[in-house]
Amino acid sequence: MKSGELLRIRVAFGSLGLVPVFLAGWLGWLQVVQAGTIDRRDGTPVPLSAATADRQGWRTETIPAPRGTIVDRNGATLASDRATYEVRTRVGAPRKVRNDLTLFRPWVARLVNRLALALVADSDMEGRDVLYERHKKRLASAANRAWRIDELPASGAWPKSHRRTADFLVAVGVDRLAVIHALRAYDMSAEYPTLSMQFMHGFRREYPYRDLTHGIVGHVNSFKTDLPSGGVKLETIGVVGLESFAVLEPQDSGRRRYLADGLSRPYFAALVEDAPEGAVLHSTLDLELQRAAVRELTAKCEEGLHNRKGKYAKWGALTLVEIATGDVLAAASWHRGNAPAQARPFAPYQNLFEPGSIVKPLVLGYALEVGALDWAQEYDCNPNHSTYRDVIRSLGRRKAVRDDHDCGLLTPHGIIVNSSNIGAALVGLQLTRPQWQDYMLGYGIGQSLGLNLPGESRGGNHHRSFAEEIKIRSFRANSAISFSFGYEMTATVMQVARAYVRMFRGLGAELRLVKGLELDGQMHDVPAKQDVSPSYRPEVINAIRRAMSDVVSNDSHATGRFVHQQIMKESGVDLHGLVGGKTGTAVSPVRLLDGSRATMRNASFVGFLPADNPRWLAVCVLQSDVVSRFYGGRYAAPPAVKLLLQCQKQMERQPMHQASQFRSGGQTRHAPSGVDLRLPGSSGWSASVGAGVSRDTR
Amino acid sequence: MKWLIAGLLFALAVGLAVGTAGIRAENVVARRTVEQQYRAIHDRKKELGRLWFQRLQAVSPERLAEMHNHWLQKESQRRQGRVQ
Repeated sequence: MKSGELLRIRVAFGSLGLVPVFLAGWLGWLQVVQAGTIDRRDGTPVPLSAATADRQGWRTETIPAPRGTIVDRNGATLASDRATYEVRTRVGAPRKVRNDLTLFRPWVARLVNRLALALVADSDMEGRDVLYERHKKRLASAANRAWRIDELPASGAWPKSHRRTADFLVAVGVDRLAVIHALRAYDMSAEYPTLSMQFMHGFRREYPYRDLTHGIVGHVNSFKTDLPSGGVKLETIGVVGLESFAVLEPQDSGRRRYLADGLSRPYFAALVEDAPEGAVLHSTLDLELQRAAVRELTAKCEEGLHNRKGKYAKWGALTLVEIATGDVLAAASWHRGNAPAQARPFAPYQNLFEPGSIVKPLVLGYALEVGALDWAQEYDCNPNHSTYRDVIRSLGRRKAVRDDHDCGLLTPHGIIVNSSNIGAALVGLQLTRPQWQDYMLGYGIGQSLGLNLPGESRGGNHHRSFAEEIKIRSFRANSAISFSFGYEMTATVMQVARAYVRMFRGLGAELRLVKGLELDGQMHDVPAKQDVSPSYRPEVINAIRRAMSDVVSNDSHATGRFVHQQIMKESGVDLHGLVGGKTGTAVSPVRLLDGSRATMRNASFVGFLPADNPRWLAVCVLQSDVVSRFYGGRYAAPPAVKLLLQCQKQMERQPMHQASQFRSGGQTRHAPSGVDLRLPGSSGWSASVGAGVSRDTR
Repeated sequence: MKWLIAGLLFALAVGLAVGTAGIRAENVVARRTVEQQYRAIHDRKKELGRLWFQRLQAVSPERLAEMHNHWLQKESQRRQGRVQ
């Protein structure tokens, strides 16, 4: 080898040898001299570690959490979030159309047309032609806004300062496979290489039995809220009914990591971390009984539409409660008029009424319990006799107390069966003012149901009924007598139901609307209140129960004889001894929304079944602005009794379980017994990447 | 001899580089395929959710009663038409 060659080789290999020396030096500079961190542009230090490198390589998308699911007592879904896509597109104007603006507008029109066609790509869709036109109009408007097409000249080249790319919403709630495929086909396609589609997670709230559950399950509304970062967020919250419960709010979002190629296309996705699962709220409602309640109440309320023109209810409410637990099994509401269902109050806990005679068993039960009443004593209920004159009229009451039929000597049992106002007043006058206050408190009249339902009406006695300055004589002449037959106080149907549950079980009893909560796959029971003391003596309850049982009989003076005859005629069932109850009819002045006052007639009924050992309790009220011939026994009793009979029938059968469950996230879960669908890793929460949270909109 | 070994080592280095790049490219393709399948599954899940809800609605007693009523009305109209 010549000396020149040897030198060249040494120089070449020497240079190569410098490379590792340089790398080692650089490593030392970064890891030792710079002490393991470098500064970002904003001054924050970035640790130079493998974890940082990994973190910067990965990108993260947020998986939004769904709202919780509401199910009935048998697991049938009443409300659930179904996963859908919110599709946005980002389109750059191609060079060709930018160079010649005469081509741009037709190009946009073609694009809009294609997208609109993609949105109706499913041949199973109804009214595709109408939908297509609607989409086309909306997309054209969105594209115009995004590109500010109005500001572009008709011809020539693209202005340098004008925005070249447009980002606009294509559609929300996309859930049809054909549509998804059609839209995906445009993503960076050969025809539209500058168009990228973003499929973001979204949810659609579904109510499989909407007509049955408007008020009690409630509904959600979405509101735009400003983010601290300057963006806008669309927040969906429940506004009434069970939907308003905070536990149904979407929990923390999940995260999913992915890598992106040079064109920012995601090409690898890791599993979802902290997969969001909505809570499952197990309500006490029974879908089948709810259906029956809605059907019976609606049928009765709308009866007058067909056979008594103008003489039908203004509103109605019906609720069914399991006495042993206080579980609300069904709650139905009906209102006259064409107002949207969401705009109507939910009568069982929002509409107040003067309960009328349905409180008489409560009054007599209380009086018997506190020793103010002898169940064997007879009361002279004839308004022409001296007892009435001496005890009632002598108090100077402005309005006379009257019965709808003349009664004579009545025991407390007879007072309930005949629904004698005079008899009830005579009993009520045995109670002192503190006892009446205790009566209101004990039965929860004027107190919240404690179910945390927004917009609940509380009612109660008149605010001056127990005022200190009201003299005892005046209180006895007016309030005590009025309270005895359910006047000078208002209550909701559910409050009346709770009052009866308290009479049967104990004054500490409460209604229950939620049986349990399923959080992260763990079931948390909401136990029925066990300590319901103080309770009435069994002989008190039995006396009231027997009297109420005789109300629903064919006795000529029994106020429940109409429903007895009707059910006997319709289905051959003898209600006497099977169903107990009490009718009520009250005529009340009511202040209307426009400030005027009108006289309303409340037909009410409270019933229980079985009569010898009450298990279920139904309360029904219909209010009418037709003052005459609107009685509790005729209008309110039939729906309540039919619901109780339906309840008995259903409980005799096996509970109707709906095996197939539909839960949040659009996952269809077939739930055979013993199979836990919430095993780790089975959440199914993950989807395409390259998307943000759909509820966040720009 | 030493030049032969150097050449072979160089060829090995180039082969390793090409092989590694190839495997990485395969990985990228495979990952992208997995991602596409993953997306396709979730697209189908959305469709499944929709169909489940649609079917549930279709078989509710109210809907069935509505359909039954509709059929009865059609039948009634058909018979009336036949009588006329």
